[in-house]
Amino acid sequence: MPLPPDRVDYSPIIDRPPIKWPNGARVALWIAPNVEHYEYEPEFDGHRDPWPRTPYPDVQAYSYRDYGNRVGFWRMLEVLDKHNIRCCVSLNMAVLEHFPEVGEAMMQRDYDFMSHGIYNTRYLNTYTEEQEREFYRDTIDTLKRHTGKQLKGMLGPAISGTERTPDLMAEAGLIYHTDWMHDDQPVPIKVKSGKLVSVPYSIELNDAPLFRQHYEGDYFAEICKAQFDQLYQEGAESGRVMCIALHPYLTGQPHRAKYLDEILGYIMSHDGVWQTTADDIADYYIANYYDQAVDHASRING
Amino acid sequence: MPAERRFGMDHEHYDWSPISKRGILRWPDNARVAVCVIVDLDHPEWQPPEDSFTTPFAGGLSARSFPDYARLGHREYGHRVGIFRVLDVLEKHGIKPTVAIDAMTAENYPYLVQHCLDRGAEIIGHGVALTRMITSNMTEEAERAYIAQSVDALTSATGSAPAGWLGPEYGESSRTPQLLSQAGIRYVCDWVNDEQPYPLKSPHGEIFALPVMSELDDVVALWDRRVNIGRYQQLIEDGFDVLYQDGQQNGRLLALNLHPWLIGQPFRIGYLDRALSHIMRREGVWAASGSEIVDWYRNNPPTA
Repeated sequence: MPLPPDRVDYSPIIDRPPIKWPNGARVALWIAPNVEHYEYEPEFDGHRDPWPRTPYPDVQAYSYRDYGNRVGFWRMLEVLDKHNIRCCVSLNMAVLEHFPEVGEAMMQRDYDFMSHGIYNTRYLNTYTEEQEREFYRDTIDTLKRHTGKQLKGMLGPAISGTERTPDLMAEAGLIYHTDWMHDDQPVPIKVKSGKLVSVPYSIELNDAPLFRQHYEGDYFAEICKAQFDQLYQEGAESGRVMCIALHPYLTGQPHRAKYLDEILGYIMSHDGVWQTTADDIADYYIANYYDQAVDHASRING
Repeated sequence: MPAERRFGMDHEHYDWSPISKRGILRWPDNARVAVCVIVDLDHPEWQPPEDSFTTPFAGGLSARSFPDYARLGHREYGHRVGIFRVLDVLEKHGIKPTVAIDAMTAENYPYLVQHCLDRGAEIIGHGVALTRMITSNMTEEAERAYIAQSVDALTSATGSAPAGWLGPEYGESSRTPQLLSQAGIRYVCDWVNDEQPYPLKSPHGEIFALPVMSELDDVVALWDRRVNIGRYQQLIEDGFDVLYQDGQQNGRLLALNLHPWLIGQPFRIGYLDRALSHIMRREGVWAASGSEIVDWYRNNPPTA
């Protein structure tokens, strides 16, 4: 199997049925702010330490992220609104419970929401099968209760998962998983029941890994524009997906917000951009291309 | 204790308050931005006690085997050389310094403490030593004694008790704000989550958070992230410009936390000078010490 654990058939991008996005768009652009809460005193699961710098609490690390909900989120919204962006938020569901004003602001804008777990300090890796099933019930119910929306997809909490995750997501009725990042188009993920696709998220066009290093906002703008230029060119043949992943505590910093403005101004000035959400990309792909992609991949792999 | 899923924060130190839903904060003379520059004087110990805790990179360089002359010397540069450059630049721009001094510096560098006082600095508590962070490993009694040691050392060195506090490496246990207020501290700079001061909760009296801009802390930007110094100047200027714009609507705070061993190096100081020129040449900027800002906030809280 090309990519263990036999979840994905190999399918080279140069030899695939072309994807045509709505209105002939070349690039499906989705903007994914990670709206999160990191716990003050999380429980250590024995594997991944949420606050490795000091014994808990780590007030510096905690409050740096808390800045996102108190201040950064609101500055980021101003920029997104200026460009009429409809986001697909990667949401720690507990934010809806702790910080209702944040939830209301997102609902007013009719954002879509993918699950990013409950808290960004609670990872899936050690969950039993039953705990993980309960986790999906909880995230689906919490989103429905607070927003009326049906949950369709997930970026694992802090990008965590188990070997069972795709099967259990599909069993719970979810249709997309964004942890894979192995393609510029959606890709069917094999599951025991139902249909699940990968929608490309980004760990590269992502302010969190970038700004832990010495790179700054101008570099983020440069790589987002270069990524767009390349995908826009290739998308004339077969539609591409571009995701920009944001964190309000980083992009909402006063010295950074203008670079998001620059990125969105550049991309949105082009014709042929489908500014959409991962929910809509997954729906559209499953309705129009999923079966074709499965058939094609089975031929490629003999 | 893991969070309970309910409204508000997952601890009892302050209330949830998104900046977009707050009343309006007005600074003196309707200034848009209050600027506070905190300068840290940290003493790294030659041999810290075995039960002490510090971050792996505190002191500038990663740990070497004992004795680590370079690690200590790099910090000591701040006390011997860097601080004087930083104070000169602040004085040039009319910024009253807020100097965070730990107990070991206060006890062992009387010349330096007196010099800071002579330059008009406000002195705030900064723990006992760089190599002794406050963490939840401490018992309540040990933490209380630690805070007392720090406050007492500053009181005897300066003749008055400190009003403000910045923990070494922003370290706190889950009890720290309350123990600080019990020790007479009125504001704390450990919480880097806002662009305005805000009240902390304590049964022992009033205490406020004076939030530092974490990304503009020179250790975070220059040492941990390795942002180059020209870009650092630009971060401060760009950040200020946005705060200045937003501060027209609702007053903002720009609190810089600087370390003389780092920003006081000859090749760096000019960039700080230029960044502060950019800020201080604007109208509507109020440069003040930590307690001046907190006192104003206390007496003129945000109004709806």
